[in-house]
Amino acid sequence: MSDSAAVSKPNDYKTDLKPVWCPGCGDFGVLNSLYRAFADLELEPHNSVVVSGIGCSSRLPGYVESYGFNSLHGRALPIATGVKLAAPDLTVVAVGGDGDGIAIGGNHFLHAARRNVDLAYIMMDNEIYGLTKGQAAPTTPTGDKTKSTIYGNPEPAVDPCELAIAFGATWVGRAFSGDVKGTTELMTAAIKHHGFAFLNIISPCVTWRGDDQHKEIRAKLRALPADHDRSSRAAALAYTREADAVTCGVLYSVERPTLVDEIFDIRWKVQNGAPPPTTREILQSFL
Amino acid sequence: MPTQDLTIAIVGSGGDGVITAGELVAQAAARRGLHVMKTEAYGPQIRGGESSCTVRLGVEPLLAPSDTVDVLVVFGWADYQRFRSEIVPARDAIVIYESASPAAPAAEADQLFLPLPLEQLARNAAGSTASKNVVTLGILCEMFGLPTESIEAALRHKFGRKKAAVLENVVKAFEAGCRTGRELMATDERIAAKRLAFSDAEPLLMMSGNEAAAVAAVHAGCRFFAGYPITPSSEVLHFLGEWMPKVGGVVLQTEDELAAIGAVVGASFAGVKALTSTSGPGLSLMSEMITLSAMAEVPTVIINVQRGGPSTGIPTKSEQSDLMHALYGGHGDTPRVVIAPVDVADCFHATVDAFNIAEQLQMPVIVLSDQAIGQRKETLPIGAFEHKVIDRRTPTADELADYARYRDTKSGISPMATPGIPGGTYQTNGLEHDESGRPNSMHVVHEKMNAKRYRKLAELDSFADAVRRHGPKNAKIGIICWGSSQGSVVDALGRLAAKGIAASAFVPRLLSPFPAAAAREFIASVEQILVVEISFSGQFHAYLRSCIDLPAGRTHLLSRSGAKNLTAIEVEQEVTRILSPSRDSKEVYA
Repeated sequence: MSDSAAVSKPNDYKTDLKPVWCPGCGDFGVLNSLYRAFADLELEPHNSVVVSGIGCSSRLPGYVESYGFNSLHGRALPIATGVKLAAPDLTVVAVGGDGDGIAIGGNHFLHAARRNVDLAYIMMDNEIYGLTKGQAAPTTPTGDKTKSTIYGNPEPAVDPCELAIAFGATWVGRAFSGDVKGTTELMTAAIKHHGFAFLNIISPCVTWRGDDQHKEIRAKLRALPADHDRSSRAAALAYTREADAVTCGVLYSVERPTLVDEIFDIRWKVQNGAPPPTTREILQSFL
Repeated sequence: MPTQDLTIAIVGSGGDGVITAGELVAQAAARRGLHVMKTEAYGPQIRGGESSCTVRLGVEPLLAPSDTVDVLVVFGWADYQRFRSEIVPARDAIVIYESASPAAPAAEADQLFLPLPLEQLARNAAGSTASKNVVTLGILCEMFGLPTESIEAALRHKFGRKKAAVLENVVKAFEAGCRTGRELMATDERIAAKRLAFSDAEPLLMMSGNEAAAVAAVHAGCRFFAGYPITPSSEVLHFLGEWMPKVGGVVLQTEDELAAIGAVVGASFAGVKALTSTSGPGLSLMSEMITLSAMAEVPTVIINVQRGGPSTGIPTKSEQSDLMHALYGGHGDTPRVVIAPVDVADCFHATVDAFNIAEQLQMPVIVLSDQAIGQRKETLPIGAFEHKVIDRRTPTADELADYARYRDTKSGISPMATPGIPGGTYQTNGLEHDESGRPNSMHVVHEKMNAKRYRKLAELDSFADAVRRHGPKNAKIGIICWGSSQGSVVDALGRLAAKGIAASAFVPRLLSPFPAAAAREFIASVEQILVVEISFSGQFHAYLRSCIDLPAGRTHLLSRSGAKNLTAIEVEQEVTRILSPSRDSKEVYA
């Protein structure tokens, strides 16, 4: 695809690779929203990087016209962090599932959020392991029968948004993949945010969570009240671990220096206007 | 007769100032152009506990630490007991020890034991026993002809920033030591034989292998380092933490080794030369990401500074037992390059080589160092640090016109676009993929892409510095070893030559792909073969057997556990045994 003409149509971001997802999968809605968000932001494909781990949803980079990296299970965030620190001018988006990001990759979620790496992390949360065919995830509700919990899940579930707020993310939102318009708006805001933005997208798995999941979630959808205080952690946490509601919107948004800001600040102070030392000059320090 | 090669070991417990004393001797000697090799050893305690510092000083360049020490200083015999198998006084050693320390052993053979009230001397001169290491420095200077003025200057530099009274006391303690040293000199004629005779030469740099590797990274154009602290490789993180901001690079201390190598893969994918550094346990954790680096063809450099294993093993001491993991660790058919530095200077060259190879072949390159060279300090001339740097090739306009990231070229090397290059967009994958990078699970594609990835290694057939050879051609015995073992092996070759035994050594720096043709030629040129390695299970020997045929009836093996560095005397004795008529060495295929 030529980069010379300004890209502004969602279809321009489609590759000719067809998604492997099941018919009815929530991830189609996420992908369509991502095309629209990229178009709205007029992102240049060659200056954009989409990084994923492993899982159904982690196949997504292959479907986006940009630089992409479908990496290892749980490791999207370390790779995305490396990309952003090495080339801070790039727009970096990390994507993946709830098992990928919270189970095997949970530690990296904590630290990418804590460091406030300037990237958008989009989680496609289906409350199940889909690619491995239906085992319980850290997001699967207690008592649910899955392939790996045939007598019912004995473990409690986590709310990814609650984790993100606790870990130090500076922007946290929740969306429903069935609402492409709302998801697009939130995704656009997440990518624009200066810092680590976490967007949890409820993305039903029709194959392993049943055909009714779409309907059930839709019935629980709520919007944040107009007077919601996005700068308050307490106010944001009130919309986590919801039993009978799925509240969508920007739960939390604050500004603080990103990791790149801090690294550049240190570099500026250390260099103090001096040219970079040569190998010989570095060696002199051992005399 | 004075000496031109003197080894001094100082043993005590944390707080005795053992390490400081050794560092001051080494620094001062390097400044006067003496060759220095300094090793430290500790117990497992974070603070306190036993510690030791061994400094070898020579007029000629040094190959390895000495087998035994000429001068041993012991602040406490209980601490010395823990090092007794590693720090061995020579048959004619001079042993200076704290007379108040109980349980002193008896002198053996021609050894001279000198009990001295070191603590009391310090108290009398400086009002505190804390200066006993400085008193000892003074004694060593005068007794053994060390550069007194340079050591005093180094002391003044070190303590110059403290209160004037502190510096004054340090100088008083040093002078008191010097007086005692002068008094002792004439008390025994054996002391004169241990005096170092040298004339000033150009000052030399003094650095560890880890520091040399870190300098190499900057020299090679690496501008991204991610790592997780681990002994004995953290010096790389520390050094780059100081220098990367100055050269406009990034250092990231990650949450674990998985993230460290992950960030390195990401940075390199984004077009920046990237490095991580670790030790055995970290290398284990990095295995999966190393396979991704090979599969996605993203250049990475991993420095692994080996320590005793398995598991947590012995973090502070050396071993050569990560070999198999470096060569084969990871699932699937994973091409990688393994290069092993042979000494401190080579930690620099091997690391630059690693970057050059990684960038050319787009695959993981492991620099397999170890604690023995990673943490020991050596003196080197500034001219020893020249090495050509090769940068990544970006795709040409023609290549981008019809771009396929993994094009199946003759060499297997495909043009690598990086984010920011218009027209080069592609999606890479840890999944098997076709030439354009799309996931593909067909057998024919897998076979073709495996062949492509492995074919790149053939570029190293012409790698110039694959092997270091030492000693005469057509020797009576040929020693095959690798990595830090080279120093003691080459030291042993010299001693054997002096006895009229023609021995030679073959030391592959490039461990994988293995320089098999050169090895076969070497084996054919010698009568007996001795494989030497610091690995209980003989990993190197097993690897050699997988690469070449080792002849039955004339192949021998010296392999043992680490936590004690290889000494020349071990090699010399093993060779002597093999060549003796009543041979009783471990003949592998007999």
